Amino acid sequence: MTDHLALSARGVQMEYRDRGTGKRLLAIEKVDLDVADGAFVSLLGPSGCGKSTFLKIVNGLILATAGEIKLHRVAKGREDAMVFQDASLFPWYSVLDNVAYGLVCAGVPRKEARLRAAPYIDLVGLQGFADKYPYQLSGGMQQRANLARALAVDSAILLMDEPFAALDAQTREVMQSELLRIWNAARKTVLFVTHQIDEAVYLSDRVVVMAARPGRVVADIKIDLPRPRALEVKRTPEFAAYEEQIWRLIQHDRVPSPLEQAP
Amino acid sequence: MIVRRFAKVNERVLYGVLGFVGLGLVWEITASLGLYRRSLLSTPTAIWRAGVTDFGNGTIFPHIAVSLQEFAIGFVVSLIVAIPLGLAIGWFRRVDYATSALLAGLNATPNVALIPLIVLIAGIGLESKVIVVFLSAFFAVMVTTTAGVQSTARRHLEITRSFGGSQWLAFRTVALPSTLPFILSGIRIGAGRALVGVVSAEFLSANIGLGFYLGLYGQLLDTARLMVGIVLFGIFGVVIGELLRVVERRFEVWRPDIRA
Repeated sequence: MTDHLALSARGVQMEYRDRGTGKRLLAIEKVDLDVADGAFVSLLGPSGCGKSTFLKIVNGLILATAGEIKLHRVAKGREDAMVFQDASLFPWYSVLDNVAYGLVCAGVPRKEARLRAAPYIDLVGLQGFADKYPYQLSGGMQQRANLARALAVDSAILLMDEPFAALDAQTREVMQSELLRIWNAARKTVLFVTHQIDEAVYLSDRVVVMAARPGRVVADIKIDLPRPRALEVKRTPEFAAYEEQIWRLIQHDRVPSPLEQAP
Repeated sequence: MIVRRFAKVNERVLYGVLGFVGLGLVWEITASLGLYRRSLLSTPTAIWRAGVTDFGNGTIFPHIAVSLQEFAIGFVVSLIVAIPLGLAIGWFRRVDYATSALLAGLNATPNVALIPLIVLIAGIGLESKVIVVFLSAFFAVMVTTTAGVQSTARRHLEITRSFGGSQWLAFRTVALPSTLPFILSGIRIGAGRALVGVVSAEFLSANIGLGFYLGLYGQLLDTARLMVGIVLFGIFGVVIGELLRVVERRFEVWRPDIRA
């Protein structure tokens, strides 16, 4: 662990009022989380465990009802940048303009934003696609552009909200190893939300396992697999052991279906 | 491949023309066989002769010029007012609340019902026609623009916020481009309504214009000239539609369905 924390969350809580019943629902209950500078941390859990909501709270899109979040201050630019799920590129912008958009939001003039965005198109492997429109790109390529947009603002921490969930299995694996390559090159802190165990284990230094109703952290597992990791690591016994451990945690928490309850 | 495409395009044109010629022939033949009174529907050749005469001696040109002028002024002014207003109503919830009941009431009133009042106020000259054209196009353009802004994808607006962009930036870079297709179809619908406005206003009270021309010859039982007026309005509508199609293609390179 390094001395600096990129992210420090204390007692983060999220309450909703159900519009129909008027009852208060606890979406996230007292989440504490520290993320070291440069670390790759995954939030893993079933749908409804509040992992995406937590990410949006960190990003500032949603205001938590209690608790506090500290992000490591940076000299210039944003502290954090979000990589969204599928279809988050603007269809009316070229790839270059999409990648430059985060900078435009930060007040950089469009021309300069384009110049600064261009290298990130190469970094994510989209050379030659700068002038294409999103509909001309495959799902995997769209997510590369999505990643480039977040990288271009050069934030200290990268927030990724199930970025590969909509991709087919093969493309997803390619994107996972690509992400590790880019992470290695860009030296960012990453907070990665996913519901796939193998994805979390393969990518992360730490996997934070969450449970639903109310959303809370149930385990924080350090992944001691050597880096750089090739995709082959997924077929090692160590990897399988981590998967097994996390799978049991999630199984344990799961509410059995009526079928299973029958004698 | 290229040869096949070429043949296909030609086929379209060929059959398109054949359709027209076929209808004309049937019309001409049934008329000359005396299946109905010529004074009711005229015949293609008679319409052609009437058109050639009126274009030849130039008597129809002032009518066309006046109608075009009324259409152009009324339509352009309605775009200038309706598009910004529609954008404001779509973007600002409070502007929507403040105007929706009022505009819904106005929109529900058939425009034609307002013509006598407009004539009373603005006379039978150019001004009253421009007002009718303006009103005719206005609501279609405004309502579609508003609907466009309001249907801007939430997840797209979220991106601007996520990267710390201002509301104004979100409006310019997200709401506006995603509304553009709506505005363009609003303009298309509005153009059609505006044309109806020209005819109905000139029809009811005017002393010049294509609507007046066909109304006058209708009363004089000169069906051939009446038909010339109808055909001209038809051509007018088609030309405007094609012009708008060109504009749409220019603006919407990012939409896959438009490109093909």
